[in-house]
Amino acid sequence: MRNYKVVAGPEAYLPPAAATMGVELPDEGGALIEGSLATEEEALEHAAKKFLEAKVPTLFPGPLVLWNWRDGVEKKAKAVRDMFETLKEVAIPGQRPMLIPMPDYRPKYPKIDAETEINPNHPNLTIWHNKIDVCMFVGVHCHFANISLKIIRGETNCYTVAMCAQHGHEDAMMTFRDASADKINQLSAKIRELAGK
Amino acid sequence: MSDNSKSLIGTKNKMGQTYADIEDFFNGKIPKEQFFMTGSEIVKEAVKRSSVGMSISYPITPQSEAAALVGELWVEGYVDAYFRGEHEFAVMSECAGASLGGCRVFTTTSGPGTLRAYENFPMWSGGRLPIMLCLMVRGINSPLSIQPDTIEIGMLLDTGMLIWHAEDAQELFDFILKGYVVAEQPDVHLPIAVAIDGFFVSHTKEMVEIPSPDYCLLPYDPYRSPVPVMDMETAPMRVMRDPFVMKSNYISYMTHTSWQLEIRAAIERSRKYTRKLMGGSLIDVEDGDAEIILCTSGTAVSQSREAIRLMKAKGMDVGLVKIKSIRPFPTEEVKKALDKAKLIVVPELNISGWMAKEIKSTIDRNSRVMVGPHVAGGMTMPPEIIVEEIEKEIALRKES
Amino acid sequence: MSTNIVRMSEALADVMPQEYKDLVAHSTYGKVDRGWRDLGESKELIEQHSLCAGCPESLGFRYIMSSLPNPEDTVMVGSTGCTSLVFPHIAVHNIHSLFGNQNAIASGLKRALEVRFPDQVKDVVVLAGDGATVDIGIDMTLQSWFRQEKFTTICFDNEFYANTGGQESGLMQKQFVGKMAPAGKQFDKVNLPQLAIDSGCHYVANLTTSKPMRVEKVIRNAIMVAREIGPSYVQLYTPCILELGLQSNDALDEMKGAEKKNERFEFFEYKTDEVTEYLDKLDAERKERKEARKAAKKGA
Repeated sequence: MRNYKVVAGPEAYLPPAAATMGVELPDEGGALIEGSLATEEEALEHAAKKFLEAKVPTLFPGPLVLWNWRDGVEKKAKAVRDMFETLKEVAIPGQRPMLIPMPDYRPKYPKIDAETEINPNHPNLTIWHNKIDVCMFVGVHCHFANISLKIIRGETNCYTVAMCAQHGHEDAMMTFRDASADKINQLSAKIRELAGK
Repeated sequence: MSDNSKSLIGTKNKMGQTYADIEDFFNGKIPKEQFFMTGSEIVKEAVKRSSVGMSISYPITPQSEAAALVGELWVEGYVDAYFRGEHEFAVMSECAGASLGGCRVFTTTSGPGTLRAYENFPMWSGGRLPIMLCLMVRGINSPLSIQPDTIEIGMLLDTGMLIWHAEDAQELFDFILKGYVVAEQPDVHLPIAVAIDGFFVSHTKEMVEIPSPDYCLLPYDPYRSPVPVMDMETAPMRVMRDPFVMKSNYISYMTHTSWQLEIRAAIERSRKYTRKLMGGSLIDVEDGDAEIILCTSGTAVSQSREAIRLMKAKGMDVGLVKIKSIRPFPTEEVKKALDKAKLIVVPELNISGWMAKEIKSTIDRNSRVMVGPHVAGGMTMPPEIIVEEIEKEIALRKES
Repeated sequence: MSTNIVRMSEALADVMPQEYKDLVAHSTYGKVDRGWRDLGESKELIEQHSLCAGCPESLGFRYIMSSLPNPEDTVMVGSTGCTSLVFPHIAVHNIHSLFGNQNAIASGLKRALEVRFPDQVKDVVVLAGDGATVDIGIDMTLQSWFRQEKFTTICFDNEFYANTGGQESGLMQKQFVGKMAPAGKQFDKVNLPQLAIDSGCHYVANLTTSKPMRVEKVIRNAIMVAREIGPSYVQLYTPCILELGLQSNDALDEMKGAEKKNERFEFFEYKTDEVTEYLDKLDAERKERKEARKAAKKGA
């Protein structure tokens, strides 16, 4: 049970929650890569590589960073924006970075416009439609992030990264914890560094 | 956005209590004093130090006394809001409303009250509401019994709540404070039932050691919640807690299932924090290498200890495994602790034998498990009877 | 005031879907004297719904959302029923109760908001159907009034359990034939407005959803009374055209018929003396503001 690896899917008809397979969240200062504990430095490097190798590297900002609801949010939103700009800057021909919001969590009828948004009730639609192969969630309430991540792992082959402000998400292929504007900026810097820019 | 409330440590609340880290309540940093008090009285002491926002009460034996004492805390100023609800289903709904509004909530109930409230429990878990339910277990009708019986714990196993079973008043105090800290972790964020055996713990006095009332837990921070709090101060504004996802198109039933899986995952995530606060393990083991192990929870453990004393005096090789956390069930710990035992005895204060079932489904070679002895409805389980039953079982097994 | 959460982060505003841009630019959060006349000229707080075409509930919901005095500081509580299909899409925090316990949840919620925001307006509004209010929830509905909980209870009365297929409810008329009442309902329509008065409500109104101005006034009154004085109750006839076998555009006539003199939804408003004084004061202030706006327009 302890050897469960959280890798890109499509995994199963209904993938198990990684926590029930023995994967534990990292302590402060740590991160998770595919179900195993890692240092934050290792995670930054790994995530940056994944983004640089992706055909459609995508950022999914959620309500907590899209809506300017309290002090500190605008700074974080800017960091997300900067990361998107970084991805565009270092993109090579054939790469198409995307920035798609999750403005809220409600089940929309009849379905969402998969080009302009992502929704936790059917995140796979957005992933499939845009052929997203690596993505990062940021500013999404943990409960809805976890549901999205499980569905994505079950239904798609997308590689997920969670930039979590709380304790992290073991249902993502990799997760940071205690996310802040600074941490997001660090990731952007790492991407630039590895791209040789 | 890390834990902002930690910055409050060392500052005082409106009652003059100093906010402190949970560890300091138990590592000696905060001075302790000894008292001789009942479980009901210790509930008041625990809630007093827990920075509780709202408590809602309703009478039913044997939890009425504790519930009324919490009301006194409200008058004194230690609990921000309190009232008596109209029945347990309403009370638990009122608790849900208060938790959705961002308050730390405390409530109590027993037996028939638990069943009356029941529809709320999976709603609490599914809604990620970290409400604390102090469960003072008693008999379930029919027939009616106000006396201790743990059958109701067996009925709560799949509600998605955390369930801890305290053995005595001291442990009840500890579990209330620790319970809030675990339940409110953003990756857990689930309701928690802290159970004690009614009357045996609620109404008997024992020596307890509790930290000074000049200190209290850090307040609940609703903005670390994994779901949006309902106060129109946090994004998004278009949010309903919680909509039918079945009406969403495309794999909507998978959303529902994933949601419920997430609740199960949250229970698993609590292990890490619970282990740390429960002294390193969700179980306590005494003489774990013995041939005969008594494995149970609550006051059945207290009785088992006495039975073990009697058996040891007879020269029998016997040990004890005390289970503190029922949900999450300490699967790995129990497997390991019971691996060598030749006979595993599970005395329970109920006739459903839910603890024995949990153990049997966890370990291998589960024919080693002796289901019982059982008593119900408040019947006592004297240690002599436990010894007698075990000796009978040993003889029976020798025969076959 | 919480208009902060209707404010986008600048750095990411351009990628937000149009419906949110419209919400930020054209909604009436924080607008003094907002009302039903804003419909059509502003972004409504209901984004979408899947109710039947012509459903009076959808109409009533829209009037109510446009009439909340302070939507930016309002939290609603609903219950299982047709309105549950609208609630996920309104731009006001709301809670889905189980069924019948909406007033219990609202009681806990209101008190929690008072604890956390003692110096701020936080209106709590319950909106549920007749089944939830008068049958399965009757004890919790009445008890919240006994306790004088300061929130508004709105009942969308279609005289059925409509969402489950049209079964008999306590608010159905006597002798009406419906599911689970194949021989006709055996007892009278429960007089819930009277029960509300007897249970301690300070403001009670009974009306249909035919006149938007009337709905706006009643809803605003009910919420202001609950904010300052005590519990209020509003019963709105929102006939279920599907179960009544009507056409989409027959709903208005159905409501007009039901609100004639001596009919069961003849407009009725109960106010205590304290409430009358208070509402008169608010009306006077409102009139003053209207005159001031007119004058300003002329001057400008």
